[in-house]
Amino acid sequence: MRQQAALPTLLALLALAFLASLAFGELRLGMGQVLSALAGVGDELSRTVVRDFRLPRALVGMAAGAALAASGVVMQAFFRNPLASPGLLGVSSGGALGAVVVLALGPALGWAATTLWALPLASFLGAFGATSAVLFLAQRGAGAERLLLSGIALNALLGAGTSFLLTTTVGHFEVNAQMLFWLMGGLESRSWEHVWMGAPAILLGCLLLLPLGRAMNLLSLGEQSAQSLGVDVRRLRWQLILLSTVLTALATAVGGIIGFVGLVVPHMLRLAFGPDHRRLLPYAMLGGAAFLLACDLITRAFPLGLRLGVVTSLVGGPFFLWLLRRPR
Amino acid sequence: MTTALSAAGLGVPGRLEAVSITLGPGELVAVVGPNGAGKSTLLQALAGLLPAEGGICWNGQPLSEISITERGRRLAWVDQEAHFEFAFPVREVVAQGRYAWGDNLDGVAEALAELDLTHLAERPATRLSGGERHRVGLARALATQAPIQLWDEPVAQLDVRHALEVLRLARQLTTRGATLVVSLHDLRAAYRFDRVLVLDRGRLVGNGKPHEVLTADLIRQVFRVEATFVESLVPELPSE
Amino acid sequence: MFRSSALRLLALLLSALPLLAGPPQRVVSQAVGTDELLLALADPGQIAALSHISHDGRFSPVAAEAKRFPAIQDSDAESVLRYRPDLVLAASFTRPETLALLRRAGVRLVVLEHYETLEEVYASLLTLGRELGHLDRAEALVAQCRQRVKDLAQRLQGVRPLRVVSAGVYPLTSGGGTTFQDLCEHAGALNTAAEAGLKGLAPTPSESLLTWRIEMLIAAEDRDIRTRLAQIPHYRVLPAFRAGRLVLLPGPLLSSVSHHRIEAYELLARALHPERFQ
Repeated sequence: MRQQAALPTLLALLALAFLASLAFGELRLGMGQVLSALAGVGDELSRTVVRDFRLPRALVGMAAGAALAASGVVMQAFFRNPLASPGLLGVSSGGALGAVVVLALGPALGWAATTLWALPLASFLGAFGATSAVLFLAQRGAGAERLLLSGIALNALLGAGTSFLLTTTVGHFEVNAQMLFWLMGGLESRSWEHVWMGAPAILLGCLLLLPLGRAMNLLSLGEQSAQSLGVDVRRLRWQLILLSTVLTALATAVGGIIGFVGLVVPHMLRLAFGPDHRRLLPYAMLGGAAFLLACDLITRAFPLGLRLGVVTSLVGGPFFLWLLRRPR
Repeated sequence: MTTALSAAGLGVPGRLEAVSITLGPGELVAVVGPNGAGKSTLLQALAGLLPAEGGICWNGQPLSEISITERGRRLAWVDQEAHFEFAFPVREVVAQGRYAWGDNLDGVAEALAELDLTHLAERPATRLSGGERHRVGLARALATQAPIQLWDEPVAQLDVRHALEVLRLARQLTTRGATLVVSLHDLRAAYRFDRVLVLDRGRLVGNGKPHEVLTADLIRQVFRVEATFVESLVPELPSE
Repeated sequence: MFRSSALRLLALLLSALPLLAGPPQRVVSQAVGTDELLLALADPGQIAALSHISHDGRFSPVAAEAKRFPAIQDSDAESVLRYRPDLVLAASFTRPETLALLRRAGVRLVVLEHYETLEEVYASLLTLGRELGHLDRAEALVAQCRQRVKDLAQRLQGVRPLRVVSAGVYPLTSGGGTTFQDLCEHAGALNTAAEAGLKGLAPTPSESLLTWRIEMLIAAEDRDIRTRLAQIPHYRVLPAFRAGRLVLLPGPLLSSVSHHRIEAYELLARALHPERFQ
């Protein structure tokens, strides 16, 4: 009964958040104006605002939210720990360092740094480099504990690099501000280029993830048991790490560092609809997309004041604390 | 007679030394030995879950030639630790035993009933006692309907009634042709098995019928206790 | 025209220190804004060191001239005191810890407090001129500045102000009460951000920018600035930007808190109203 309500509820929430993302912004536009602008008719101003500003922003938000939540589900199954998050293996801090390096070295990189693609690409490469380094450092077998410890060490190292670049560029305030804004995540000024950079690959990653739900169920209750029951655990672990890294790296590349989505959304949904990954994965993708759009709507009321990463943490932090205090 | 499970020179560096055994279908086999003797390692190695030296054959076929899915159909292994981090209902955990068979859920209800879990079927596995969790692990193994079953200390955490039921179930499975390898600490129970394997510091020091293997000498040598044989205290366990 | 707080501070400093025999001979400027004032008024022999970014053309409009003098290594108090200064110039945006440490070291300190309008800059020039023993030089410079501003105003007499906005990769724009507002007022421009009610540095709006009827964008010269602005959706769709209506000014002039900003007035006025400069 509950299960049957889940999909329609989440779809409705997502549709609502999506429409709200198109309807609310700096300029007051009526729902009629928004819809006709979407259809390509109506006055030029609302067409530009809806189609060039709000639509790409909403699409990037949906893609990033779905990616982060799905990635969270994967990491939690992988580490058999409901408190695991997408950033555990250095993806986020690697992405952060990559982006900050491009911003800091901007002048030295010349033309390459001026394209719209430079920052997301650098962030993506940083994210991938970091996770590869964690896997390499943890070395053979790559037991969960070693992976975690390598992740912690590398996160600290990369964080130090990011902080160093932040302070050394403090005199050049334009660069410095861009770094700060990026490190706190945000969907403002997203364009169709960002949609094309993130959304199709995220969609593909999500589609590849969906058939792994049943095997993830087994893995989440023990590696050796899963192996004995006929799961190719080695292969599954690689698939999961790869997909989770790609998804988080893409979300980070187009939206900056956005915390807690990968923790809060899977948790809420697991509490509501149970831990079965065959359902949890699609629910988390829909729920993550809706959650991020809702958080983005809050940031619109405080331009530059409340960054997206700040809002998700403001919502996620108290939730996390409640989770820790809850009797298990 | 065909062999169900055989190992030649099976070794795991530092934990198990060159174990060679051949087990037939329908055999109920006990693995005993002090803590750290290598009982769990032997079971994991036989299940193909550890990188190990030497050769393993299931039904006469080298393990390396058996696909991972086929392995899930032929052999079930039960961990001595049963921890569930996620709140799957008991029924779903047991149904995982059918993974290698696609979506076919044959035998799940029977497995729940055999382990006295039917009334707990919808309860989240995180909210079970240690013994109940063990029974869930056994039920999952049962649901695989695999002809080779390796159970690592299945009764250590069970109350007397459930422990006896599990041992009776083990015997019952062998009468249907299954091969069971069960590690135990209870030597009196082991005495009722068809065959006993005794491990000491990673080496196989006894392999044969219980009364031939479990002698006072060997028990003194391996377990460093003096044993006196009296009439068994587990008369309900059928000895074939 | 003195600012009362600056006066009070000076009085405090003067009472706390033994009277010096003559004008200071080892002046250190701690901020880039005070570099510009010091270079304009002091004898070369009076300058001990300039700010740590004084040699960087991205920040200082007088970087070339500044390179004749040493630059302090960092903006902290120790870097300043290394030069054993008999007068230190700092600005209200200097870190408060640094100011406190300099005060504690007992060194004579002049803090530039106000610089949003030209009159405030003139007052600072006169204060500093008096400190350096070159009041005459300061007075002459102020008079010269007043004349340049007056000439510019005459040229722009009756011109229709163009509707402008300060654009940048930095997601903030300048509203009322900023040096950019001051620049617009002197160069025949109307700061649409101030008109829309924005004050100080404010987040650049995206959607409402389209409704401000902007005729010209003004940005600091930077590498590939056009390309980089074109990546920001709200500039990309702006008709004025698409028509290439973008004035680029040297960054240090745009943010100058000294009399050098008059050069920015003239450059902008020339770009916005070329017909008045034929």
